[in-house]
Amino acid sequence: MITRRVFGQWAGSSVLTAAAVGLSAPALAQGKAKVVVIGGGAGGATAAKYIAKDSAGAIEVTLVEPAKQFVTCFHSNLYLGGVKKFEEITHTYDKLASAYGIKLNHQTAASIDRDKKQVKLADGSVLSYDRLVVSPGIDLKYDSVPGWGKDHEEVMPHAWKAGPQTKLLKAKLDAVKDGGVIIMLAPPNPFRCPPGPYERVSMMAHALKTAGKTKCKIIVLDAKDKFSKQALFTEGWEAQYPGMVEWMAPSVHDGIKSVDPKTNTVVTGFETYKDAALVNVIPAQWAGAIARDSGLVNETGYCPIDPANMRSAKDANIYVIGDACIAGDMPKSAFSANSQAKMAAMMVRGELAGAKTFPARYANTCWSQIDTDYTIKVGGRYEAKDGKISAVENFISQTGEAAALRKQTQEENIGWYAGITADIFG
Amino acid sequence: MARQAHRLAGLAAIMLALPLKTPVQAADVAFGEYLANECVTCHQKTGNYSGIPSITGWPQQTFVQALNSYRWRERQNPIMQTIADQLNDDEMAALAAYFEQLGPPQIAVEEPATQTANQRTTQ
Repeated sequence: MITRRVFGQWAGSSVLTAAAVGLSAPALAQGKAKVVVIGGGAGGATAAKYIAKDSAGAIEVTLVEPAKQFVTCFHSNLYLGGVKKFEEITHTYDKLASAYGIKLNHQTAASIDRDKKQVKLADGSVLSYDRLVVSPGIDLKYDSVPGWGKDHEEVMPHAWKAGPQTKLLKAKLDAVKDGGVIIMLAPPNPFRCPPGPYERVSMMAHALKTAGKTKCKIIVLDAKDKFSKQALFTEGWEAQYPGMVEWMAPSVHDGIKSVDPKTNTVVTGFETYKDAALVNVIPAQWAGAIARDSGLVNETGYCPIDPANMRSAKDANIYVIGDACIAGDMPKSAFSANSQAKMAAMMVRGELAGAKTFPARYANTCWSQIDTDYTIKVGGRYEAKDGKISAVENFISQTGEAAALRKQTQEENIGWYAGITADIFG
Repeated sequence: MARQAHRLAGLAAIMLALPLKTPVQAADVAFGEYLANECVTCHQKTGNYSGIPSITGWPQQTFVQALNSYRWRERQNPIMQTIADQLNDDEMAALAAYFEQLGPPQIAVEEPATQTANQRTTQ
């Protein structure tokens, strides 16, 4: 017996196949399929929205996210630089609930019982799932910088998770006097947002220059020998902020020996920096705790996935997307998380609602603002190949580009942010 | 077995009787929607725009011509050139069909060019 609800779904967006007739009717006959999404950022919120909006009511979606408003890490550097206001990088979940019927659960997910297919929340209540999407982002490795830890993040902020840390870093930046030294510890690979620390350097320099504090110095003590868009950032710093930025590879600074949050001192093998005006520690990272505590990570601390569909390599009922997963050639970025989320959502709808699926295709572009009307980008397109998500094409800005092109790139950057936040939250 | 065949035949009859687009156009739009996943982070589905052009509601031929002008390097944006290089003619048509049906155009759109201007070989 073909029910009206089943028919309505077919008449919508899916192409009818004989196989779909056989698969979808029994699943729906048992009532709505349940999907729980852990994490309401660029990955999780996109996944929740795309599963809910295209399943014609066949799937009940619950989004677990403690924050009632989401502050985007992407473009938080622009707020630091004074280019954007804090309200412009803050978004609510109202539309996800009202327009798509997503159930919002503003708690932290405490644990996952993979055998029972249940998520236990902080208050002890339990959510059952048919499929689970895990998108918890990264956690900071607080023990990775000697002398620094969770107790010190208010004194030496990381601001690598957006929100109160972002505001704290901005307040400290704005309080730096002319001639003050800012030290950034940049993280080892793999980490969230490869060009992010260097866009932050640019935006800090921009804020200082705008305030007339051109005698300030920003010293970057990197854990890496090279970084994303390095030639472009180096060119930009020399042109726009001459004398203000010094970047050092490990071979030059000889390693971070310790930091002292009481005196804002940083000790390297090469030199000791005392009484820095501001120390920004961006430490090593790994997948969010819920993923690590649920057996979804491997020895790297991130989650292996099937590149063809974003399914966890450890559990066929769980998808892992965004910064927490091992995404091959894709960087850890909001654009990547949103792209992966759409593929995961399509696959979930294929499994639970008989929707047609297509081969996974992914994309990413990262824009980095260096100064007013001066932005660079890097990006690519990706497919499942050679056992991982592999780049099939790449593009990157060029050194010596015309100013008009860099200005256009900034306009794209602004347009992209409007677009992706509408796509995620609207 | 007979009941299954009867059910499928009945369903087919219902599908054909519906005032929908033809099956080929419907498939194009679904395929276009899947291809558009990466487009809609910049080109908003609502047609709203800020810094990146609105592409909803364009006549399909104009849409395809715009993509081709990136492929032929008449237009210079490297992201769009990369995208146009990757798309075959069927994929461009599917995207054009999808974006056209999203709603009325939010910006002034050129009329499609004449037939002779459009006759180029694609590699």
